[in-house]
Parts: sequence; C-alpha cells; structure tokens
Amino acid sequence: MSSDVRFTDFKSDKQPTWCPGCGDFGTMNGMMKALAETGNDPDNTFVVAGIGCSGKIGTYMHSYALHGVHGRALPVGIGVKMANPDLEVMVAGGDGDGYSIGAGHFIHAVRRNVDMSYVVMDNRIYGLTKGQASPTSRKDFETATTPEGPKQPPVNPKALALASGATFIAQSFSSNSQRHAEIVQQAIEHDGFGFVNVYSPCVTFNDVDTYDYFRDTIVDLAETDHDADNRDQAKDKILESDKEYMGVLYQDEDSVPFEEREGVEGSMAEIPDGAPEGAMDLVREFY
Amino acid sequence: MPEDLNWAIGGEAGDGIDSTGKIFAQALSRAGRHVFTSKDFASRIRGGYTAYKVRTAVDRVESVVDRLDILIALTERTIHENEDELHEDSVVIYDGERSTMQDVEVPHGATALEVPLKRLAEDAGGAIMLNVVALGAACEVTNFPIENLDESLQKRFGDKGEAIVENNKTAARKGQEYVQEEFETDDFGYDLETTDADYVLLNGDEAIGMGALAAGCRFYAGYPITPATDIMEYLTGRIDQFGGKVVQAEDELAAINMALGAARAGARSMTATSGPGIDLMTETFGLVATSETPLVICDVMRSGPSTGMPTKQEQGDLDMTLYGGHGEIPRFVVAPTNISECFWKTVEAFNLAEKYQTPVFLVSDLALAVTEQTFSPDTFDMDEVEVERGKVVDEDEVDAWLDEQGRFQAHFATADGVSPRAFPGTTDGAHMTTGLEHDELGRRTEDTDVRIEQVDKRQRKVDTAREQEEFDYREFGDPDADTLVISWGSNEGAMREGLDLLAEEGHDVRFISVPYIFPRPDLTEEVQAAEDVIVVECNATGQFADVIEHDVLERVDRINKYNGVRFKADELAADVKEHLAGDAGTQEVEAE
Ligand SMILES: Cc1ncc(C[n+]2csc(CCOP(=O)(O)OP(=O)(O)O)c2C)c(N)n1
Ligand code: SF4
Repeated sequence: MSSDVRFTDFKSDKQPTWCPGCGDFGTMNGMMKALAETGNDPDNTFVVAGIGCSGKIGTYMHSYALHGVHGRALPVGIGVKMANPDLEVMVAGGDGDGYSIGAGHFIHAVRRNVDMSYVVMDNRIYGLTKGQASPTSRKDFETATTPEGPKQPPVNPKALALASGATFIAQSFSSNSQRHAEIVQQAIEHDGFGFVNVYSPCVTFNDVDTYDYFRDTIVDLAETDHDADNRDQAKDKILESDKEYMGVLYQDEDSVPFEEREGVEGSMAEIPDGAPEGAMDLVREFY
Repeated sequence: MPEDLNWAIGGEAGDGIDSTGKIFAQALSRAGRHVFTSKDFASRIRGGYTAYKVRTAVDRVESVVDRLDILIALTERTIHENEDELHEDSVVIYDGERSTMQDVEVPHGATALEVPLKRLAEDAGGAIMLNVVALGAACEVTNFPIENLDESLQKRFGDKGEAIVENNKTAARKGQEYVQEEFETDDFGYDLETTDADYVLLNGDEAIGMGALAAGCRFYAGYPITPATDIMEYLTGRIDQFGGKVVQAEDELAAINMALGAARAGARSMTATSGPGIDLMTETFGLVATSETPLVICDVMRSGPSTGMPTKQEQGDLDMTLYGGHGEIPRFVVAPTNISECFWKTVEAFNLAEKYQTPVFLVSDLALAVTEQTFSPDTFDMDEVEVERGKVVDEDEVDAWLDEQGRFQAHFATADGVSPRAFPGTTDGAHMTTGLEHDELGRRTEDTDVRIEQVDKRQRKVDTAREQEEFDYREFGDPDADTLVISWGSNEGAMREGLDLLAEEGHDVRFISVPYIFPRPDLTEEVQAAEDVIVVECNATGQFADVIEHDVLERVDRINKYNGVRFKADELAADVKEHLAGDAGTQEVEAE
C-alpha cells in the first residue's frame, strides 16, 4: 500500500451518467476520499455495488469491483472478505436495493458483522426505474405507482440495524462533503460491519427530500453531547422519526469481526497443484 | 440361494433405523463384503415409516432389487410396506412380545422369527438397545461372525464411553444367543461369507464433499435443503483443516452470491442445493457467466415441482440446469452416474469452472446422495487428482494484458474465449466487472459491436472446451446389440445389472451412460446403428430423451419413472423387455 495514493486514483475514466446535481456525486467522492485516507489503494480494494442509479458507483470508481444483481451486493461482499480478509471491502447501493429487495441480506449482514463497510445512498425513491416509491419514502409521498402515497410507514434502517445487533451505525449527508468523508472513514476503520446511511438526494424524482430539506433539518451529532458508546442514547436518537442526524449514532468498540471469530487467516486463493497433503485420510475416514 | 443378500430394518422415524442400518452396513464392509444401501424415508422427523436397506454380496453390487431376504420389523407397518418383496425363504425378525406386534402375520410363507428384542435389551442394560439385539439375531440367521459388529459399535458409540460400547456388544450377543437357542438356524440357508478385501463405505453427498476438498475448494456457502445438506455437513469442520470455510447463508440467493464473491477473490468456491433452491439462484447464473466467474453450483435433485416430495427420487431438473436463467448463458452441466463419479466429477467441475471461467452445474440426485456403497479406497486415489486453475495472471504477467492506458483487460476477447484472471490484490490488476454487458475492461456498454464481440467471446469457451475436453460416455453390455439403452445420473447401476438379467433371457443390449449433459457426446451414430433406442430416466416427460432427439433428429423410446422411487434392476430389465415386446408386436402386425 503506497502512502502517496490520492483519492483520484480511485476514479475510473468513465464519466458518470448521473443527473447533474445528483447526490450520488458527493457520496462517491466521499467514499474515494475515505478509502485513500485509510491507506488503501485500488489494488487491495474491492467495491461491490447494487443495482440502481446508486449501484452505478462501481463503474465510476477504479478498484477491483463487481456490479451484481439487484439486492445481492452484501452477500457478494461477505464472500469476497471471507475468501480474502486482506482486502478492503466496501459495498454500496440504494435504499431500494438494500432495504427492499435486499432487506433480508441487510439484517443478516449486520448480524454477521464481517469487517467491511456498507454505504447506502438513500434518496427515498427508486431513481433508475424513474421515480417509484422506495421503502424509505414518506407515507404520503405521491409517485406513479403510489398516487396517494405508499400508505405505510417508511422503513427505519438504523433501527433495523440496531435491533439486528449492529456494531456500527452512522448517518451522513452527501452534500456535507467533509463530514461525509469522515463518517465513511470511521466506518472503514471500524472492526466489523460499518453501516452508513447517506442522504443522497435525487434531484429528478424527489421534490420533498431535497438538499434544502436536509440542510435545514439535519443535526450534526458532533455538535451535541451524543455518546455513540451508549446504546440507549443511540436507540433514542434512532427512534426519533421526525429528526435527521449526521454522524456516528452507535459504535461498539469491542466488536470482533465474524471472519476473525471464525479463524479465517489470509487469502484462500492459494491452493496446491493436486489434492492437499494427507488427503487420503479423507478416504480412510470411511473405513 | 441367490449370491446377494437383501437386508432391511424398518420402523418409525426416530427409532434409530438409520444408525442401526449403518452399523450393519459398516460391519459388512469391514468384513470385506460389497454393500449397496438405500433408504425409504418420509419428510418428517418423528413418526412415519422409514427403512434402511442393505444389499450385500462378495461381488460388486450396483443397485437395489425387488427382493428382501432378512427384515427386521420394529413396527407392523414395516411388514406391510415390504410385503411384496418377501418370499418363502425370507426371515422376518420382530418382537412378538410387543403389544402392537402380537397379531402379526408374515406373508408369502416367510419365516416369522419372534425375538423378545426389548426384554433382551433390558437384560443387557437398557431397552434403547433393542435394535442392536436385532442386529445380533440377524448375524446368527445369516451366519455372519458377530465380531464384525464390534468395530462398528465402537465407531458409533465410542464417544459415549466404553461402558455403552460394551453394553451394546452384550446386547448383540443376547440376540445371537436367543436365536441359537430357540431356532434351527441352519434351516435358513443364509451364509454371509467374509473376505480380506478392504473397502470404504460412503454416499454420493459425501463423495461430492470429499471431491471438493481434494480439488482445493476453500469456500462453501449454502442453505440447508434435503437431499443436499449432507454436502454442507460433510464440509463443515473438515474444510477448516485446509484453510477454508463453510458459511450457512440466510437463503439460496445469498448462498450463490457469497460463493460468487469468494470465487472473485480467488478461492475455489461452491454452493449446493436442491430444486427449490436452484430456482432462487437462477438470476445469479447469468451474473456468474457474464462476470466470467468460476463457480461450481451443485443441484442434488429431488421430486418436484414446487416442494414436491422432498425425500423422494427424481431427475426432473435437467431442463432447469441446462436452460435456467434469462438470456443465454454459456455453462457446463456435468452429472455423475455413480458414487465414485460424484467424487471425480466434482474435481472435474472445479477444473472446468476455472479453465473456462463459467458456472458449472454439478447435477446429482437423491438416489446418489443417500445411497452408500463400498469401494476399494484406491478408487479415490488422491495422487490422481489434478488441479488446473486456467489463465490466472500474477503481478509479473499482468503487464501483458494491460491496454495502452495501463488498464487490465479482464474480459479481453481472446481467440479461445478465455480471458486472463487477476485475483484481487494483484498489482495493476484492478478492474471492474458487471452483469451488464461490458467491454474488455469490464465497463458497461450498449455498443452493438462490442455486445456481439463479448457474446461471441463467452460462447467461444464452450467451443474451445469441446475441442480440448473429452465429453464422452461410458458403455456397457453388447456393443453390437440392436437394442440401445441410454441413461444419465443414478440409473446406471440398475441398468448395468438389468443388462445381465436381460442377457440371461437372451436379450442383448448395448447400454450407454452419459455423465455430460452439456456439452455432451454426439450420439448420432450410436442411435442410428440401433434398431431400438430407449432413454431411461426418473422423470415424467423425458427431458434427456428430448435433447437426444434434438441432437440426432430421430425419435427415441422412453422409460420414465416418477413415482419417487429409484429404478430397481429387475424392474428396469422387465420394463426394457416389455418395450421390446411391444415393438416386436407392432412390427408383427405391420408384417401381416
Ligand atoms: C430483480 C430485479 N427487479 C427489478 C429490477 C429493476 N430495478 C432496477 S434499479 C431498481 C430500483 C433501484 O432503487 P434504489 O435502490 O433506491 O436505487 P436508486 O436508483 O434510487 O439509486 C429496480 C426496481 C432489477 N434490476 N432486478
Ligand atoms: S434519477 Fe435521481 S438518483 Fe438517479 S441519477 Fe438522477 S438524480 Fe440521481
């Protein structure tokens, strides 16, 4: 790992096709800064992306990367990290990708606590399919498929994470680039599953959860006396459905990653040319 | 007396039927006898009829037949379930003192051997050992030296302490002595001869697991499902010794995607499931193929559709593995035809996956999965295992594959269709890949020319494999016979034995057993050379027969079994005979 890695080294030569002003630009820049800042380089980094406008991120970044099928990015990331714990693994996707089609994987990835980071670009809408309600859309948010609103409360992903035994829960806002990069950096540095929900506004289809809305409402936890060590405090903040926070809501400093508990050591890529030594013992077991 | 003996123990699920049967099967195997086991089981944990059947001979046995010689019946229902297989020389061992067994009638003139199993077990230290008392009785009836049981009892109960092992040995002897004292055992005429041969006894799932370890598999992700779970259970605990890991995923979608992630990180990686799980994995097949990730996906088939009959045999997923997934997916479909092939085809599956960077479907079935069979240990000679990793490039070789801007071309359209592969961590190898159509760098594209180039490139791997690999078949019987039988999967054993039965009655048959579903051998010449062609498979519609017809542009006959039970040798031989007779009948009518 070279110390002279700059965040632009994580940029691919592909020009993003996101709408001008899309929150995903800022989200991605912060991710690249955080990766460079934590001493990683493209050759030891693996980025897994979901499907959606947000999922395109893997294409615009330069590293080892896989852009998979809708909702399954987390299991791919877990497989990568288990097979080679020396890699820095980052998974990214949208709120639809992560909390709808992939919701099952989300709670299990949180429980499993593999050492990787998960950045969800939450725009409270389905962007790529042109503006349907997402699991984080407001109850009365009108879209083509929900003309009177979804009529059901939004998912609270941070509460889901807390209830599933998360060891790191953070919230970020893509337009506050400095803070956003810092928060993602903390997620990367966390020993375990670093979950960051990022408010990443969709300027094309969501005229409610806008930059202005978040700017006006968001409270930076760094400017409060919030103690991320304290699970009860975290719980109270997470359950305040009318408040938007920025910063680390909860972190378990004693977290031990899954692969470490399982005793995985080093890359699984190296194997012998033939059957492993002592393989005949496997046969002898059947005497 | 026939040269083989068919033995069974039956009762209710939860009665320890499986472990008792296994103790006997292992004892026979240790005594140098060939063994072939089968199970009747229902999809419930306690209650419901279940049986463990053992066929044994000094010569190799490859299948089950419709005959039972010794039956240990722990319940009356066991006798009814097996009624048709009993004959006048059969011996039925049961506890006549049990209230539910007092009015038992043993059919077809078979001998009723009443042994107070429970009472004798209590004398030996506990009623729970009544199955072992029955084993002792069976040893006496079959003239099988009871010492052979001791090692199996040790293996089964050793963990529980020496006292338990000793009690079980005593229980077995109580059963033996009771039969000696109360009956004229010579009358039964059974004599289980022992030999010096060394055998191992294992089932198809275990052979697949062992094949995976031999091949260097390091990562396995799966979700429990009958009858594939044994693969996962085998690997759990054992794979760690080699630096690998089994992960029980939250569902099959996660399982295949985890396995895919591990494979991209460079590990030899695998997942296994059965029908319903394969359905859930389907979307990811295309991702595996377009991202050009080597992955072994094992489907241990059971009766479908839907949840069907989870504990019953079927070969109904061939179309699914051959065509499953949207779009067109280059792949390999390999189907072992017997238990030793479960091992060797697994090794081959990993090599094919890495050489061609594609999904490889390893298709097995319930009959292979749960059947235990004896083999000489050198059948699994580990020195013969070859590991071929294909075009993996390290940091020194990576340069040759960089474009003028220094970017690694992970999907370079080579002449053979196979691109260089750089494991993550390789300097200068960083690249992205996606299930979207992409260019040689892995970047998304909708450019028409690049699309065609990449589709052709991926497809070319199959052509290359056709040139480089031998997708052949195994042949048995009379190569010049007018009748040709073709089958795939576990039917091989029953058909092989069926050949002998047919030959005894003057029917010469050529039999081809095909372990490669795609690519597969071209059977045009063989089909054209035969007068009658019959494709045998455990499904209702004849999925393999369809592909043969498609290949050779000629109609073939079909024998299909889909009641949930595997083919039995004698029954299959009779089916073939009937087909031939039916044919002969039509021909005669036409001649008139
Ligand atoms: C199995 C499957 N179903 C549906 C789709 C179509 N689809 C693509 S992106 C998407 C929604 C993405 O929403 P979100 O994750 O919120 O991402 P955004 O585009 O808003 O960034 C859907 C439904 C798909 N690709 N795959
Ligand atoms: S549709 Fe919305 S989320 Fe998608 S690129 Fe445009 S602004 Fe961003």
